[in-house]
Amino acid sequence: MSQDYHRQATSSPSNTGSALPVSLFFASALGWLMISSVLGLIVSLKLQTPTFMAGCEWFTYGRLEILQRNAFTYGWIANAIFGVNLWIMSALARFEFKDSWLAVGGWLGWNLALTFGLGAIFLGHLNGYVLLEMPKEVAPALFISFLFAALWPAVAFVRRPTGHVFVSQWYIIGASFVFPVAFGITQLLVLWYPTSGVLQALIHSWFIQNIQLLWIGASAISATYYFISKESGRTISAYYLATVGFWTYFLFAGWTAPASLLGGPIPVWIQSVGVTTSLMMLVPVIILGINFFGTLSYSRGFAYAWNNTTLRFVLVGMVSFAVSSALNIVFATRSLNAVVRFTDFTVGQQQLVNYGFVSMVFFGAAYYILPRVTGSFWPSAKLVHLHFWSCVIGGLGLALHLLICGYPAVNSSVMSYYYIPVIFFVLLQLVGHLAFAINSCVMLFASVRNTNDNPHA
Amino acid sequence: MKDFNLILSGIFFTLAASFGGLLISSEVQLGSLGRAPAEEGGPLFPPIETGLAIQGRQVYLELGCVTCHTQQVRPAGQGNDIAKGYGPRPTVARDYVLQTELLLGNHRNGPDLANYGARAKSDDEIHGHLRSPAAGSTMPAYHFLYVVDKNGITQPTERAQALVAYLKSLRIDYNSPEAKLKQ
Repeated sequence: MSQDYHRQATSSPSNTGSALPVSLFFASALGWLMISSVLGLIVSLKLQTPTFMAGCEWFTYGRLEILQRNAFTYGWIANAIFGVNLWIMSALARFEFKDSWLAVGGWLGWNLALTFGLGAIFLGHLNGYVLLEMPKEVAPALFISFLFAALWPAVAFVRRPTGHVFVSQWYIIGASFVFPVAFGITQLLVLWYPTSGVLQALIHSWFIQNIQLLWIGASAISATYYFISKESGRTISAYYLATVGFWTYFLFAGWTAPASLLGGPIPVWIQSVGVTTSLMMLVPVIILGINFFGTLSYSRGFAYAWNNTTLRFVLVGMVSFAVSSALNIVFATRSLNAVVRFTDFTVGQQQLVNYGFVSMVFFGAAYYILPRVTGSFWPSAKLVHLHFWSCVIGGLGLALHLLICGYPAVNSSVMSYYYIPVIFFVLLQLVGHLAFAINSCVMLFASVRNTNDNPHA
Repeated sequence: MKDFNLILSGIFFTLAASFGGLLISSEVQLGSLGRAPAEEGGPLFPPIETGLAIQGRQVYLELGCVTCHTQQVRPAGQGNDIAKGYGPRPTVARDYVLQTELLLGNHRNGPDLANYGARAKSDDEIHGHLRSPAAGSTMPAYHFLYVVDKNGITQPTERAQALVAYLKSLRIDYNSPEAKLKQ
C-alpha cells in the first residue's frame, strides 16, 4: 500500500482541467488573506488605542474582529482548501476535469455570498455565534456554492481509473462531506429554527469542532501527507497506522466539542465527555506525528525539507500541529482549562492551529501548485524568503506571545505593554502576506499574458 | 479502504455518533426545561425581557459586544468568576431558556455581564461608562450612541437607552432550583 501511495504521490498529475478553478481559488484566497491581514492590524491597533477609529459605528472593535475572523476562515482558508483539495485529488486520482466551469460557478457563488455576508456584518447585521455571524440568508448561497466548488474531489475519487486509495484522499473526502453536513445542521438548529437556550451553545460548539478539526484540520493533514511524500520522495513512515489515525481522528473529533464549554451552563456529564474525548485525541495525534515526522526522519531528511520551499513551510506546519495538539489536549483538563478559558491564551492556541499549522501548510502547497497551474516560475526568491520569515516570526511570534503573556498570571504584570508586540507581529504577518501576494500576482498575470499571447499553447 | 461508499458511510457514522450522543441526548435532558419559581408560589425566573431590553439586545448584537464580553458565570472550583464578583452563583441552563439567541460569548477582553444589571448602580453610571470608559480600559467610547441637544447637553439616543435597559436586565441574583444563592 505504501509503495503504491509513494508511486502515485510522486507521479505527474494529469489535471489540466482543474488549472483554472485552482488558480481562481488561490487568487481569491490571496485577496481575502490581504483583507483579513489589514483588518487584523486595525483590530490590534484598536486594542492598544481604543480611541483609534472609534467615532464611527462601522469600525467598532467588535464588528471588525468578527469581520477579520470570517474573512480569514471563509475567505483565505476556505478558498485555499477548495484549491488544494481539488489539486491533490486530481493528481492522485488522475482526474480529467471536463466540467470545470461548474467549479468556477461555485467559486463565484462562494465569494459573492461571502462578500455580501461580510458587508452585512460591516453594516451591523450579524449573529452572536463565532463563524455563524453572517446573516442566515447568506447560508443557502454558501451551502450551494460549496457543493459546486468543493465536492469535485469526491467525483474524482469515484471516477479514478486505478484502484489505489491513499491516505490524503480519505481526509479530503471526509473534509468535503463534513462541512456541508455540519454547516447545514447548525444553520437550521441555531439560526433558522433555533432550539431553546443552551442547546444552541452545544450545537454551535459541535459545529466549531467539526469545522476546525474535520474540515480545516483534515484538509491540512491531507496536504501534509501529500507534500511530505511527494517532495521528499519517501513513502509514509508506518503507513499501516494511518487507517487507525484517520478513523480515530474522525470518531473522536466531534465529541470534543463540550471541552470548549467547560464550566458553562451545560450538564456536567457532557463536559466530562468533552474532556475524555479530548484526551483520546492523543491516539490520532501520535499516529499523525509518527507518519509525518517519521517520513522525514531519514539521514538528512529534515535538512532536505528545510532546503525545499514547500517542505519548509510544511515542516513549520508539522511542528505547529504537534505543539498545538499537545496544548489542546493538556488544556482540555478541567483544572488547567479553568485558568485559561476566556483569556488570550486560547486565542494563542487558535493562532497556532489556524496560522502555524493550516496556513503554513497551505502556503507551502501554493508554492508547489501555483507554478504547475500557471506554467511559470516564482518571480522572486527574495520575496519567498521574506514571506517565510515574516510569517514564521510574525505568526508563530504572535502565537507564543499570546500563549505566554496571555496566561492570566503573566498577563496582569505585562498588561501595559501587552498589545505592542501584538501589533508588531501582526504587521510582520502583513508584510509576509504582501510579499506572497506580489509574487503570486506577478506569476498569475504572467501566466494570463502568456496564454493571451499564445492561445494554442 | 478503497470503497467510496464505505468511507462515506464511516464518516457519516462518526458525525451521527457525536451528533446523537451529545446533542440529541442533551435535547432529551434539557429540551423541556422551563422557567421556575425561586420559592414556592413566587414569580417565575428568569423574568421575561421588556420590549426596550429586547431592542437593546439587538443593539448589543449589532455593536459586536459579544466579542469581548461573556454572559456566563462558572462555578467555584472551575475558574474564579464568583470570587471576581461576576455573579452570586453560577449560571445554569435554566437561566437561558427564554433566549432565542444565546449571547454566552467565549472570550473576555472585558468583564462578564451575566449579572451586570445587579452590579450597576444607576442608568447614569452605565451611560457614563458607554460614553467615556474608565482610563486604562480597552473598551472604546460609544460617542455615536449620544447626541448633544441645542442646550449643549449630551443626551442618549433611543439605541443607547435600549442598550442600557438590556444591560440592566442582565441579572442572576435569584435562586434557581439548580443553583441557590449563598445566604
